[in-house]
Amino acid sequence: MDTSLKEPLIVTQGLTRIYNLGTTQVVGIQDIDLEIPSGELVVLKGESGSGKSTFLSLLAGLDHPTAGRLRAAGQNLHQATPDELNRYRREVVGMIFQSFNLLPTLTVVENVCLPALLAGRPYQEAKNQALKWLEWLNLEKRLHHYPTELSGGEMQRAAISRALINEPSIILADEPTGNLDSRNGRIVIELLSELNRSFNRTIIIATHSKLADSFATLQFYLKDGKITETIA
Amino acid sequence: MRRLRFFIKLQFWFSLRQMRAHYWRVLAVLFGIAIGAAVFTSIRLAVDASLDSFTQSMSLVSGKTDWVVTRPGGRVPEGLVARLNVHPAVETASPLLTSYIKIFGEEAEPFLLIGMDPILDRSLRGWQVKKTKQRDVRLWLDLVREPNTVILSQRLAQRYNLKPADIVTLEHIHQVSKFRILDTLQPQGLALVNGGQIGLADISTMQEFTGLQGLVDQIDLRLKPNVTGDDLADLKNLLPPGIILETPTRVKETGDMMIRAYQLNLSLLSFVSLFVGMFLVYSLVALNAASRRREVAILRSLGGSKRLIFLLVLSEGLFLGIVGWLLAIPIGSILVKYMVQGVSSTISHLFVRVHVDGLRLDPWEILLSFCVTVFICLLAAYGPAREATSIAPREALFLQDSMPRQRRFGRQITLLGLLLIALAWPLSKLPALSGVSVGGYTAIFFLVLGSSFLSLWILQWMGSVFPPLLSRLGGEPAFLGGRFVRDAGRRTAVSVGALVTAMALFVALVIMIHSFRSTVALWVNQTLAGDLLLRPKMAGFNQYRDHLPEDVVRVLRALPDDVQVLPFRQVLLHYAKTPYQIEAIDIKLFLNYGSFLLLKGNFEKIVDPVMTGQGVLVSEVFASQTGLKIGQRYRAQFGKSIMNVPILGIVRDYRTRGGVVYTALEPFQRMSGNYEWSGARIFFKDRRQDLKKSAEDLKAMIFRDIGQSHPLEIISGEELRREILRIFDETFAITTVLLLIALLVAGLGITTTLTVLVLERIRQLNTMVAVGASAGQIRSMIFWEAVLMVMAGESLGLICGFFMSYILIYVINRQSFGWTFLYQVDWSALLVSIPLILATALIAALPATLLVLRSSPALVLKES
Amino acid sequence: MRRHPNSWPVFFFFILFLNPAILADSVYADEYLKVTGPCRFQFPRDHGAHPGYLVEWWYYTGNLSDPAGKRYGFQLTFFRTQISPPGLESRWPDPASAWRTTQLFLAHAAISDLDASRFYFDQQMARGALGLAGAEQQGDDTRIFLGTWSALIKSGKHFLKARADNFEINFTLVPAKPLVAHGNEGHSLKGIKPESASCYYSFTRLETSGTLKIKGKPVKVRGTAWMDHEFSTAPLEPDVTGWDWFSLQLENNTELMIYLLRTSQGGYSSASSGTFVLPSARTRHLSVKDIQADILDHWKSPHTNGVYPSRWRIQIHPLKLDLILEPNLADQELITPETTQVNYWEGSVSVKGKIADKEIKGVGYIEMTGYANPFNLLK
Repeated sequence: MDTSLKEPLIVTQGLTRIYNLGTTQVVGIQDIDLEIPSGELVVLKGESGSGKSTFLSLLAGLDHPTAGRLRAAGQNLHQATPDELNRYRREVVGMIFQSFNLLPTLTVVENVCLPALLAGRPYQEAKNQALKWLEWLNLEKRLHHYPTELSGGEMQRAAISRALINEPSIILADEPTGNLDSRNGRIVIELLSELNRSFNRTIIIATHSKLADSFATLQFYLKDGKITETIA
Repeated sequence: MRRLRFFIKLQFWFSLRQMRAHYWRVLAVLFGIAIGAAVFTSIRLAVDASLDSFTQSMSLVSGKTDWVVTRPGGRVPEGLVARLNVHPAVETASPLLTSYIKIFGEEAEPFLLIGMDPILDRSLRGWQVKKTKQRDVRLWLDLVREPNTVILSQRLAQRYNLKPADIVTLEHIHQVSKFRILDTLQPQGLALVNGGQIGLADISTMQEFTGLQGLVDQIDLRLKPNVTGDDLADLKNLLPPGIILETPTRVKETGDMMIRAYQLNLSLLSFVSLFVGMFLVYSLVALNAASRRREVAILRSLGGSKRLIFLLVLSEGLFLGIVGWLLAIPIGSILVKYMVQGVSSTISHLFVRVHVDGLRLDPWEILLSFCVTVFICLLAAYGPAREATSIAPREALFLQDSMPRQRRFGRQITLLGLLLIALAWPLSKLPALSGVSVGGYTAIFFLVLGSSFLSLWILQWMGSVFPPLLSRLGGEPAFLGGRFVRDAGRRTAVSVGALVTAMALFVALVIMIHSFRSTVALWVNQTLAGDLLLRPKMAGFNQYRDHLPEDVVRVLRALPDDVQVLPFRQVLLHYAKTPYQIEAIDIKLFLNYGSFLLLKGNFEKIVDPVMTGQGVLVSEVFASQTGLKIGQRYRAQFGKSIMNVPILGIVRDYRTRGGVVYTALEPFQRMSGNYEWSGARIFFKDRRQDLKKSAEDLKAMIFRDIGQSHPLEIISGEELRREILRIFDETFAITTVLLLIALLVAGLGITTTLTVLVLERIRQLNTMVAVGASAGQIRSMIFWEAVLMVMAGESLGLICGFFMSYILIYVINRQSFGWTFLYQVDWSALLVSIPLILATALIAALPATLLVLRSSPALVLKES
Repeated sequence: MRRHPNSWPVFFFFILFLNPAILADSVYADEYLKVTGPCRFQFPRDHGAHPGYLVEWWYYTGNLSDPAGKRYGFQLTFFRTQISPPGLESRWPDPASAWRTTQLFLAHAAISDLDASRFYFDQQMARGALGLAGAEQQGDDTRIFLGTWSALIKSGKHFLKARADNFEINFTLVPAKPLVAHGNEGHSLKGIKPESASCYYSFTRLETSGTLKIKGKPVKVRGTAWMDHEFSTAPLEPDVTGWDWFSLQLENNTELMIYLLRTSQGGYSSASSGTFVLPSARTRHLSVKDIQADILDHWKSPHTNGVYPSRWRIQIHPLKLDLILEPNLADQELITPETTQVNYWEGSVSVKGKIADKEIKGVGYIEMTGYANPFNLLK
């Protein structure tokens, strides 16, 4: 099948997000036009404040654009209702955060199961799925530990498992190595690369680190909320 | 079903584990709720028990009686019994003569001795001696044939260690006499009346013992079935003038009504503890939700809906409510015993005698307490739950916890508070509904709520205006403390609101109680004046129906000239359904030694007509309860005569069990044809002597001369004052306890708030340590925050309390009981209590200060 | 000396109502007045009460009919008992209450509506004080009353009034014969011991007329009645289990009264006896040997399970009297759970038989006690 004729997984047109903080306006991103085909490992690069997190939050359905269009996995996110966004976050996207964002009062396996349970899947089914990913990520010995009992690397791997449990087509990672040492950071990037290659997931990583460069199939550079460079 | 299971799982993972990790604050809140619920429930159960006891006693005494023949304020001639018994409509007419009697030498409570004709009474009331009826037949025959025999209830006999065939000496104003105990009553039927403290005697024995030959208290009628209105009219025509036919439930209905009104008043008061507990729940749930914004955002980012978040937070309130209520059970079961004692004692003093036997656990009351507690907690959690739904999922991307924006609600709340306070005034003007001051209570509620709402503004104001002064007093920490208080917002305001509530109620009650006490003391000194007051023993119990025997009157008349004896006649009557007393006394002589606290009327103008019996003075309570005013006629029937005179003045009077009408003695005696004395006040003409000693001597002399054969109550004026104040103190003991509990709960609220606020700012505080602040300075800052919070609460509470005291005295008391008092503030009590409360609240700040210094600054700052 | 029968039944009847109470006072029996010899009745004085004697009753029974021929039986009885020995009044408080009394009054009234097969009964009790109950005499009149029930004995007429829930009686009774004093001038022996005696007289035939109301419906009635008045202090002898008492009025203007005391050994006590009253009012005493009583049938009470004789054959051999007595209504049982817990049968009977081979008929009343409860006074 000719993949070039298929619709891109993510399409943005004039995507803009501006924040109102009191009397001032802060531009998150402005007039972003891009297309991301399915199966890519995309790296969003830029310094702090360049708009990576803003763009990622829009892609994740965590926020609404101020202007422009955003279509992802066949859904017009700029027009979506809160319920539709909710469903999108559960079923289409898996999110990996810089500060891991595991719920401290849940164990590793409970944290991983959470998105599946929120999607209404039976507990046993969710658990089986969680165990599968946790094993793949070498966390089978940490199932019933709380996040405070894990190392940084372990926490991020748990977070990755959580992001995968609903078999999302898009995986978004916001500075996934930001809170890790270089060794663990490398492991995480390799894992994401593996997910892209072997499991054909579309991965989008927002980072200012260079670790992911060599694995990227597509790179975008952001500065002051705009795309300055695109490298395929 | 799956969704429910998941929700419960999530609730456990997300909320309950969090609570477990911070169990101290949760326990504090649970304790507060538990106390509130326990107090509310135990008060209601206690009053229910009194009501049950009263209703049961009344039912047992009235038995199967359809109608009662009585003479208001007097007794019924015995000759009517036979005439009524042969009336075609009458099944049986049974006479009753009862009196509260004491066992000679025993100082404990008297028991009720019922004199009846066992034969005429057998179809009306039930009592049984032994299991077989054979013995009963013999026993009542012995009762009838042998003078001075009695059957005692089992409980009474056990209490005094008496057995059948024992001889017991009983005392009544008429005489002291020995009785032979025939047997004891099985605990059923009539034997359950008056808490089982009862005895039965034949009516002949009763008449001889009490000196009431020819008279009975009442004749109870049981009518044949299918009696018509004409039959009743015919019966009424049979009765001589002054004697009426009334339903047996009249006494029951009046008592019932009074107790229920009292229950409602107390329930509302006890509700305060729960209400304050509501603030605690709000504090905890709001603080929980706020301090876990990030986690809530994560949940949202993972697909959790707003509805899920709302229910999650709300169910924290539900959990606190249910567990708090369950914890209330053991607390309540201990508390209820004291409540029952206190409440039944108060009801007996204020309204009607009750003697609580046992406690019935009414499932409806339990359900009510459960529902109210849970509802309160859900209501408290509703606000934070709604607020949590506004947390945006993108906050999951933020690295630090953000503080919610609150400023835009501040003005609305303040305005709402002012509006509520303003509404309190017109509400307090509303009339009462069935003896309950609905407008008054609502006004108080609005005042308290409104004042609580103002706490946000006052914290902001204090935090803005005070810091410069504070920095002079306490340096930089004080300054920072002030600034923080300004910005802390709604969460702090809520805890302060709780303190405002408790403080306001406390102040209001301190003022009210002091006003009440002072006015009552004044009344006792002026209107109940007397160096010695003398009346038959248990006169109060026996509703003033007994008069002083001739022997006693003779002794009193023969007292030396330096002693002024002022006899009085006291009769208990009813105006429609309202009980009251009429007291006839020589007004002219009385005014030489005492006075009336005139509330309305011109004393100069009315004193002469009152002295000559051309008008009467009525008490404020009488006027409130009957609606009669100055100038209207007071009308009452005494035997064949009717008294019909204008009301000339309204006086303050704090007698319990109804109002009082004062009239001149001689005209009253002439009108009623009754020259008996209900009692006497004795004054020493020479007021310069040692009155206390003279009174003691005279009392001893009277006892010697006549007290052995005619049991009398002789009390000095001073003793009476002490006794009355003791009763009033007892009455207010419960109220005071409730208020202290509310204060305790509010104090818990402050502790919780301070602690959690510290936790929220742990990063900032440790940053301060990292930049050079000492532990002492941190502690000092928290201390100053506590000071400002408590000051805000106390000052608002104080002002609110003053307004509330006015409503309590002039609205609620007047509408509930009929009386008002002279407004007086006990400044010393207030001034002492304020720093005390401050000190207590500051102790409450200690856990917070300890907490802040526990963790290492380095760890906390690691992430940035 | 003729020994005359005595009216044990009524005496025992009364004792039944107060049994334990009075029996327990047997210790006081010594202090009450006793019947020791001829009663020397004086009338109208002795129609009244005799305080000082333990028990006393005025006992009326009768058979009546209305103009339509419907038949009725009635009973009205007043009992007086002295509840404390005479002289004890001196120890009463002074002034004593008007309720204090030494006398207790009971009354029973019953109507047998024979054609409708209905039986109505009522009872009352009151102390003899304050107009509640009593036996008063004013001039020649004697009035015994309890509530609205009264028996007024005037010279030549008796007036009976009673108002119960279901019935009301208002009768005038005119003695057809002079009264009969039983025993020796009324002194009537009651047992083996000499102290067992009572004073006893009867009006054996009273012409009765008046109004009877049953459930509010009045009906004029006429017939004959029997009246007993007896007083005594004697306690009952212990081996008696019950009695059967008969008062019969025969159409030849004679009357027969029999009393049979049943013993625990079976058979009748030797104190059992009877009286035959001739038209002239002369009497003939009958001893137990003269009387043969056979039970022909039985009736089981559905209320108490007591099995009563329901048909009798009475033979008085010296009189050549052979009578069959049949109850006019099977269920004329009186049940008194509230007061005395003693149940007995008292009712109207028809008499048919022969006297000296001549057919004879009559009416009467039978009283049977001790069949429903064992008549055991010492328990």
